[in-house]
Amino acid sequence: MRSLWQWLLPTCVIAGANQAQANGWNMPVGVTDISRDIYGLHMTIFWVCVAIGLLVFGVMFYSLFRYRHSKGAKAAEFHEHTSVEVLWTAIPVLILVGMAVPATATLKNMYDTSEADLDVMIIGQQWRWRYEYLGEDVAFNSNMSTPWEQIRGEAARGEHYLLEVDEPLVLPINRKIRFLMTSDDVIHSWWVPDLAVKQDTIPGFINENWVQINEPGIYRGQCAELCGVNHGFMPIVVHAVEEDEFEIWLAERKEAAEQEAMGVDREWELDELMARGEPVYRAICASCHQAEGQGAPPAFPALANNAQLIDDLDWHIDRIVNGVSGTAMPAFRSTLNPVEIAAVVTYTRNAWGGDTGDAVQPASIAEKIVQ
Amino acid sequence: MWSIIQSVLAALIGVQKDRKRQQDFASEKPLGFIVAAILVTLIFVLILILVANIAAG
Amino acid sequence: MAPKLPPQHPLQHSTTAAADGQADHAHHASPKGIMRWLLTTNHKEIGSLYLIFSLIMFFIGGIFALVVRAELFQPGLQLIEPEFFNQMTTMHGLIMVFAAVMPAFTGLANWMIPLQIGAPDMALPRLNNFSFWLLPVAFTLLLSTLFMPGGGPNFGWTFYAPLSTTYAPPSTTFFILALHIAGVSSILGAINIVATILNMRAPGMRMMDMPLFVWTWLITAFLLIAVMPVLAGVITMMLMDINFGTSFFDAAGGGDPVLFQHLFWFFGHPEVYIMILPAFGIVSAIIPTFARKRLFGYASMVYATAAIALLSFLVWAHHMFVVGLPLAAELFFMYSTMLIAVPTGVKVFNWVTTLFRGSISFEPPMLFALAFVVLFTIGGFSGLMLAIAPADFQYHDTYFVVAHFHYVLVPGAIFAIMAGVYYWLPKWTGHYPHERLAQCHFWCSIVGVNLTFFPMHFAGLAGMPRRIPDYALQFADFNLVSSIGAFFFGISQLIFVLVIVLCVRGGRKAPAQAWEGAEDLEWSVPSPAPLHTFETPPVFHRSHHGD
Repeated sequence: MRSLWQWLLPTCVIAGANQAQANGWNMPVGVTDISRDIYGLHMTIFWVCVAIGLLVFGVMFYSLFRYRHSKGAKAAEFHEHTSVEVLWTAIPVLILVGMAVPATATLKNMYDTSEADLDVMIIGQQWRWRYEYLGEDVAFNSNMSTPWEQIRGEAARGEHYLLEVDEPLVLPINRKIRFLMTSDDVIHSWWVPDLAVKQDTIPGFINENWVQINEPGIYRGQCAELCGVNHGFMPIVVHAVEEDEFEIWLAERKEAAEQEAMGVDREWELDELMARGEPVYRAICASCHQAEGQGAPPAFPALANNAQLIDDLDWHIDRIVNGVSGTAMPAFRSTLNPVEIAAVVTYTRNAWGGDTGDAVQPASIAEKIVQ
Repeated sequence: MWSIIQSVLAALIGVQKDRKRQQDFASEKPLGFIVAAILVTLIFVLILILVANIAAG
Repeated sequence: MAPKLPPQHPLQHSTTAAADGQADHAHHASPKGIMRWLLTTNHKEIGSLYLIFSLIMFFIGGIFALVVRAELFQPGLQLIEPEFFNQMTTMHGLIMVFAAVMPAFTGLANWMIPLQIGAPDMALPRLNNFSFWLLPVAFTLLLSTLFMPGGGPNFGWTFYAPLSTTYAPPSTTFFILALHIAGVSSILGAINIVATILNMRAPGMRMMDMPLFVWTWLITAFLLIAVMPVLAGVITMMLMDINFGTSFFDAAGGGDPVLFQHLFWFFGHPEVYIMILPAFGIVSAIIPTFARKRLFGYASMVYATAAIALLSFLVWAHHMFVVGLPLAAELFFMYSTMLIAVPTGVKVFNWVTTLFRGSISFEPPMLFALAFVVLFTIGGFSGLMLAIAPADFQYHDTYFVVAHFHYVLVPGAIFAIMAGVYYWLPKWTGHYPHERLAQCHFWCSIVGVNLTFFPMHFAGLAGMPRRIPDYALQFADFNLVSSIGAFFFGISQLIFVLVIVLCVRGGRKAPAQAWEGAEDLEWSVPSPAPLHTFETPPVFHRSHHGD
């Protein structure tokens, strides 16, 4: 039954559908077998609709033109015709069965997540993606890198405006990659059109999906489920690379992670922590608590000149490590490493005129996380 | 009885003859139709579940 | 060879009955001014109140849409903040669904159902008054949330938990209360309509003699009674989660965010049909009138409406194809959704066949009804595409979906409402609407609607998610066109108001039977319809029925 739309696909191409696709007017064909299958289904049902539409609207407009009252048309008397009615019920049913068969096959294929070569955990967070390569000790956050000056129109917009991130998801081509998807807060939806993967990430659930990319390249997408104020600003970028290139990248990331882990045990200077904390604050905290720590009450409290925060260091650390239940403040225990938490705590206690002079040490954070 | 089931099936696809409709509405007791409709709907759902499960393998 | 159902030229004496009725009531000490409207139990006055309320809300919801479209005119954030953008999209959806489209249909039902079945009034007039006056309360409350600290609802009209519970603004409790009140209003209105249709038909009028507008409303009313309590249930669960520490939808407390979606769409999908079935009824009245030919397949239309209503309970999870349903569930909902296309298609075929070999004229109601058939069908086609579950993984939550449901709701439901208003205005006011202005309104609306919503198909296919305040540069052209179209459409609706105002104040006098081909019972009473009609039940002539 795959033959039905495999036969129809070239027809579509002749009709110039690919032209439309190249101009960004149509669904992308994509770079996986499944995305091609879906594109085929999409075009088939589209042409079926066009054909039915031409027929129905053709009869309609012919009637409107031919049987005008102003031209003296006399109304006929007929008002039912069972065989015609049965026919126009039966034909759509047959067409639908014809559509359902290839659609079922494609869907079954999409649901077959068995025998994956690599497992990647995708975690949605307000408003970034976190990727964890399971079993490889590699994990990182992926934030939008488009500067707010561009969004505000204070700087020229780049080519990949809103569709660029600081750390893309790197995947090998030609390998079956299983995605395990969940969320830390609200429902998000991870969508990359070229991969034909769209799957909700839901707190408390782990959804599965998979992809096997045929061509190396950079594929961009966005969160597809309304997830709060910055829903429009959590893009996805996937770098699909050759398999050996991927192995090299993975090894580098592992080594970097080990370096970072060693940093936990040594003593850090205040300046060092501040320098480290600022980018973390900008990437993670600023979307709610704002660039200057002024917050957006009542939902997002101010951090600058926050007396409770300045007075009680343990309380401050606890908010970040464990989150605040019942609010939008998540636990960063597993999202950020001890160095990053120590740095961002230090930063918020010393930036914007706080000047407490506290240099919070990563080692003490690591202890708190273990507790 | 068969006439009622026939009408309900006709309703399911949305095609009915006027003469048959007049017969249906000639009786003022809709209970038979309601019971038949609920039964046919249940059977329809069960068939659909069965087909979906067979297709899912 | 029976002409169009229901029957023809009945009851000469109903007009006298009506006139007598008016005379009888002259001695009633009816309250004046505002109290008259607050206390009225007359179905025509309450119908007018519903329609005026819905028109006001249509403009308020429309302004919200224009705020959204203005922000999306160009890439970047120019006019409003993302937080307010989310409030605008949410409020636009809520107001249009619950305060514009639904009350408009209830208003038409109030006005026309008693007239079409020969009843003196609705079965439960005081309840009718109460149902209406709940609405201004509900929506004043809902709109007031925009001015509360933290802003109004910002989680989309589908208010998925936990965004609408744990992460929602403090005003959400007011939103829940407003929706509860609106829901009570809908249920009471529906009960009233069912009671009226089942009990108050003119002697001799059987169920099978009822006009299709009455039929579709009867089925719609049952849908309302069935699903509004589900909505009430789900928002009460939200209320508990927010205020009383339960965890229905909070995964951290062992709850299930997906349960919310199942409950919401079990309400939400029949809700879609609640907004379209009465439209089918209106169009099925107008097309035969102006084609001067009996509706093709009246029986099939009734049965198809019943089938659509029943199937609408079995398709809800097609809104949830990407939440991670099991494969068998995914297939079940794909198949059932594809099947619902069949009875819907039957209706379109019937309308087109009614036109075939008719004697067609193009008065304003007919223009809107014809536009309905074409554009609703286009919305149906994209609906069919969305039903293909694998393809829906690409379509879901994109502008393709936005295009789809706007085609079904704007040139679908709203055009049908406008067609109905133009069709029945002569009956309500005694004057024909200004023909030139109405044509102008029609053509502006047609251009505006397509300019607004057609490019959204392309934007969605090209990858633009819905509900984003800013977008990547490749979507700029589509959004530019949509925004221009939206403003054009919005402004041209002022013509509609102008036509209505002019028609109320004067215009060409309409006779009792305002349209040559119109044959239902409402055309037997004078135009404008006196306050009280059919106080003595008309004798319903079954005409030359049967074959």
